[in-house]
Amino acid sequence: MGKKTTFYNKHLEIGAKIVEFGGWDMPVQYSGIIDEHRAVRSSVGLFDVSHMGQIFVKGDQALEFLQSVVPQDLSKLPLNKAIYCQLPKQDGCLIDDLIIYKLADVEYLVIANAANIEKDYDWLLTNKKDYRVDVINKSDKYAMLALQGPNAYKIVEKLGLLQDTQPEFFTIKTCSLDGVDVFISRTGYTGEDGFEIIVDNTDALKIWDKLFEIGKEYNLKPIGLGARDTLRLEAALMLYGNDLNETTTPVEAGLKWSIPKDKVEDYNGKRVILDQIANGISKKLIGFEMVDRAIPRHEYEIYFDGHKTGIVSSGGYSPTLDKNIGMGYVDTKDNIALDSTIQIMVRNKLYNAKVIKRPFVQKRYKIS
Amino acid sequence: MMVPEGILCSKSHEYLLEGSDSIYTIGLTDYAVEQLGDIVFVELPEVGSEFVKGEVFATVESVKAASEIYMPVGGKIVEVNEKIVESPEILNESPFAEGWLVKIENADAHAESGDLLEYNDYKEELE
Repeated sequence: MGKKTTFYNKHLEIGAKIVEFGGWDMPVQYSGIIDEHRAVRSSVGLFDVSHMGQIFVKGDQALEFLQSVVPQDLSKLPLNKAIYCQLPKQDGCLIDDLIIYKLADVEYLVIANAANIEKDYDWLLTNKKDYRVDVINKSDKYAMLALQGPNAYKIVEKLGLLQDTQPEFFTIKTCSLDGVDVFISRTGYTGEDGFEIIVDNTDALKIWDKLFEIGKEYNLKPIGLGARDTLRLEAALMLYGNDLNETTTPVEAGLKWSIPKDKVEDYNGKRVILDQIANGISKKLIGFEMVDRAIPRHEYEIYFDGHKTGIVSSGGYSPTLDKNIGMGYVDTKDNIALDSTIQIMVRNKLYNAKVIKRPFVQKRYKIS
Repeated sequence: MMVPEGILCSKSHEYLLEGSDSIYTIGLTDYAVEQLGDIVFVELPEVGSEFVKGEVFATVESVKAASEIYMPVGGKIVEVNEKIVESPEILNESPFAEGWLVKIENADAHAESGDLLEYNDYKEELE
C-alpha cells in the first residue's frame, strides 16, 4: 500500500483503477487510456498530480544556492517565470529533472518527481553547505492538479480568472480561485495548453468539485497515469526513471537546448556536461516509429546493422498517430540519423523501426 | 455481456468452449480484458502449430503492457481470429463472441480440463 493523495476517495468513487507509482496509490485509468488520451487532445482533462513534490528554497542566497546545483542560469529568470532544470551529480548524471519557479527575488519553488522527493530534498540539504537559505519540503501540505487540453483556459476563465489575467506560458501566479488561495501555472506534461494548480490539501476537494461542475460543459474527464504517459510520450517529454536516471547526462538525453554554455557559476557536473557539449557523447537519445507491427517498450534492445546498439527508454502505442513509437539510447559510433532503419528486439525477434523527429505529435502551447 | 453456456475458465483467465468434433474455441475472459484495458496489439500462432497445456501460444498487448496467453488445454491450432489482429479493440468489446483468439483440435481435451472452472465458480474465485 502506497501513500494516498487527498483525492484518493474521489478516484475510487468515479471508478478509477489504482496502481502503485513512485510509492503512491494512483489512478492509472478511469474510462480507458485511449478515451482519456483523446479527451485531453480534443477538449480537456484533469489529472491528480499530488504525488509530485513541492520544495521551497528561500533566503537571501536562494539564487546563488540554486545556481550551484542546476546547469541552467537562473540569474536571468524573470519573476513568476518557470524554467525546466536538471539536478546533476558531479559526474553529470541526473538525480532528477525539475521545474523551478521564481516566486520572489529570494524565493523559488522546486517541483520534484514523486519517486524522487526525498532524494532531491536530501541532495539539496547536502549541497546547502553555508548558503543562507532554507530548503523546505512542503510536499505533504499541497495537492496538485493538472488541467490540460485546448479547453482548459475556458474552465479557468469560468473559475474567475479571465483570459488576460491567466498566467502566460511557463509562468505562475498566486490568486484566489472560487475563494481558495492557489498557485496556478501555465505548465503541464501533455504537449497541450493547460494549467497546473497547487492548492493546500485542506481546500483541494473544493477545487476538484468546482472544476468538474464547471467542466461539464466541456466534457471534462478525469485522466489517469496511463494516458499521462501516452500523452507525454507523444510530446517526447522526459520521464525520470525511463528516459533519465543516474547513469544519463542531460546532453545524452538531448537536453542540450536547456543548458547555457556561458553560465559563469560553477555547478555539480559542470565539467562533464560542458565537455560533452564540446567534445561529444558516446550514447544519444533518438525517437523512432515502428515500421513492422510490434510495440516497443522500456528496456527492449535496439539493433543497428546486425549488432546491439542500445536500449529503448520509453515506448508504446500512440493513440493520436495510431502508430507504435518510442525513444531510446543508441551508440553514437553507429552514426544513426533521421530516417535510419533500426530494429527493436521484441520477444526474441527483430522488428524494423525508422528514426524520426521528436516530438512525435506537435506541441500546442499558447505562447504569446 | 452474453456468457456462452458451458465455458470453462483457467486461473490465468483464458476460457475454453467446446464445439463439435473435438474443436474448442479459446479466448480471454471478460475479467481479463477488463483488467488489461485498451488492447492495441494481438499476436497469434500459425495454423497447424501445436502447443501443450500451459504453453504460451499468443501475446496480447494493452496500452500499458504485454501479456502472454497460455493454453488452457493442449492442442493443434486449426483456426486463428484474423479479425482481432486487424482490430484488437474487438477483444475489449466482445471477448466471448467476436473476440475469440484461436480454435484448437484435441480429442482428449476432457482429460486435461479438470483444473478449469465453470464460469460462475471462476467469478466467485475472483472475489
